[in-house]
Amino acid sequence: MEDFEFLRNITIGQYLPGDSIVHRMDPRAKISIMLFLVIAITFNISYLANIILLVVTFLFVIASGISLGYILSGVKPAIPFIVVLALLQLLFYGDAYIPYNAVSRTLFRWGWIHITNGSVQLVIVSTLRFLQLLFLASLLTNTTTTSELTHGMEAMLAPFSRIGLPGHELSLVATISLRFVPILAEQLEIIMKAQASRGAELGAKGKLQFIQTTRQVVVLIVPLFIDAFRRAEDLILAMQARCYMGGRGRTHLMTLKFSRTDLIAYVVVLVFSAAMVIFRNSFPF
Amino acid sequence: MTSANEPIIQVNDLHHRYLRGTPLEVVALKGVTMEIYPGEAVGIIGRTGAGKSTIVQHFNGLIRPRERGKVIVDGMDLADPDIDIRALRQKVGLVFQYPEQQLFERYVGDDVAFGPLKMGLPMDEVRERVREAMEMVGLGFEEFKDRYTFSLSGGEMRKAAMAGVLALRPKILILDESTSGVDPRSRKELLSRIDYLHRTRGLTVIFVSPNMEDMAGLVDRIYVIDDGRTVMSGTTREIFSQPEKLVQHGLGIPQITEIVHELGRRGKVPPTTVLTVQEGKEVLWKILNSSGT
Repeated sequence: MEDFEFLRNITIGQYLPGDSIVHRMDPRAKISIMLFLVIAITFNISYLANIILLVVTFLFVIASGISLGYILSGVKPAIPFIVVLALLQLLFYGDAYIPYNAVSRTLFRWGWIHITNGSVQLVIVSTLRFLQLLFLASLLTNTTTTSELTHGMEAMLAPFSRIGLPGHELSLVATISLRFVPILAEQLEIIMKAQASRGAELGAKGKLQFIQTTRQVVVLIVPLFIDAFRRAEDLILAMQARCYMGGRGRTHLMTLKFSRTDLIAYVVVLVFSAAMVIFRNSFPF
Repeated sequence: MTSANEPIIQVNDLHHRYLRGTPLEVVALKGVTMEIYPGEAVGIIGRTGAGKSTIVQHFNGLIRPRERGKVIVDGMDLADPDIDIRALRQKVGLVFQYPEQQLFERYVGDDVAFGPLKMGLPMDEVRERVREAMEMVGLGFEEFKDRYTFSLSGGEMRKAAMAGVLALRPKILILDESTSGVDPRSRKELLSRIDYLHRTRGLTVIFVSPNMEDMAGLVDRIYVIDDGRTVMSGTTREIFSQPEKLVQHGLGIPQITEIVHELGRRGKVPPTTVLTVQEGKEVLWKILNSSGT
C-alpha cells in the first residue's frame, strides 16, 4: 500500500523540541563536538575503535532523550542502497583492502568474486561508521533549532572573515538548505498526490517497470524544481522587502552563551577524539 | 456496485494521525462519520485545521484508513490493499485546496489531458474531453491549450487544475476549497456549471469550504466537522437555522440568513431561514410592500 507521507521518513534535519542536556548545549559546542567525533571516526578502521566510538555516540543519543527508533527510521528508505553497496564491497574489494592488524586471508574465491577477511572487515566497519555518522547528524539537527545552528556556524566562521570568508552568507546558505528539505518533501507529496489522483500509477501495485518508473521521476522532478525556483524568488523578494543587507553591522536577538557544561563537554570530547586519532594503530583488533 | 438508496460513500468512526509513529505525530481525525448518497450535493464545513482535507483525501485513496474506522466508496473498502485504486481515482475526482500546485505538465492542454491519456482513451476522445473540460471551466480550448502552464495567472491555474479533474468525468467530484482566489464572476460561473452537471448528469458533488455563502446555494446537506469529529449534520436549512451552535464551532452563517433571522427576532417577519440572496430579497420585498401600504 502506498504512502505519500514523506516527512515521516525524513529524520535528519527535523528539530524535535525537548529539554535534555544535549538540547540545552551551546550550538558552537555541539558543532565542534560533532566535528571532533567525525574526525575520530574517519581515522579509525579497527573493530575495537569503531565499537568504542559507536558506544560514545550512542551515549549522546541516550542523553538527548530522542528515541533510537526515530533515528533509525530515517535509514529505512536508504536500506536497499546500503545493502547493494555492502555487497559490492564484500564481493569485489577482497584484493584491494588490507585488513587492520592482520594478514590478508582468502575466505572464498570464485571467478571475479574474492572475499577476504579484509573485505568482511570493510563491510562491518563501514556499517558501524554509517551508524555513528547517522547518530551524530541526527543528534545535531534533532536537538538544535535552525536559528541556533545558523548563529553557531556564523560565530564559528567569524574569525575567518579577516581572510575574506563570508561567514554570514555561508551560514545563511546552510540555513536555507536545511529549511527547504521539509518544504520540498511536502511539495513532492502534493505533486505525487495530484498525479496519482489523476490516474498516474505512483505506488500502485504492479511489476517492476524501470522505464516507467524513470519517466515518472522526470514528471515529478520538473514541477518540483519549478516550484523550488519560485519559492526561492519569493524568498529573495521577502528578504529585500525587509531590507536584508547581509551580515555586516547586524545584531542578534539571540545571544549564545558558552556555559561550564559546554566547556567541559568540549574539552572531554576534544581530548577523547585526539586520543582516538593518535592511538588509532594501537588497538589490538 | 451501489443502488440509488445505498450510500456511495460511507465513513464510519474514522481516525487518522499524521506523522504516525514519530515524536511529531498529529491527531487529525478522531471519529468522523458520514454518509453520502449518489447524486447528492453535500457540504463539509469546519474551521481551518478541523480535518476537512484529511477526510476528503480518504475518499479517493490518497490517505488509506490504517487505524480505527472504515471508509467504503462505491462498494470498495479502502482499508483493503487489493482494491483497484486507479479505478477508484477515476470515479472520484479531487480538486485540491491549492489547485495551482497540482499542475505539472508544461502546456495547459497536456496537463488537462493527463488523466484521460492515463486511462488509455483514443486520441480523438482525449481531445474531445479536454475541450469539453476546458470550456466548462471557462478556459477557451484554442486560446489556452498551447499556453505554458506556469505562466498562467493564479485564477487561470485554478481553472486549469479543475479542468484536469473534470476531464476524467468522475462520478463524484470533490472541491476542497478550490474556488477561493478565483474572481467573483468566474467563481459564480464555475459553481453554476458544477451545479448544472450535478442536476443534469447526476454528478455527486462534495464541497469543502469554511465559507457559508458558497455552500448555501449549492448543497442539499451539510456535515460540520470540528476538531476531527462530525459535530453536526442535517439539511442546509437545518444547519443554518442553528447559528449559535455554528458559532461555537468557529463558523458563521451567510449574511443574508443572519439578516432575516434578526428580522424574525424583531417580529418583522415570521422566523425563517433563508439560504440565498434571492430568497432573502423576497422576504425583504414583502416587508417593504406591507410597510408601504
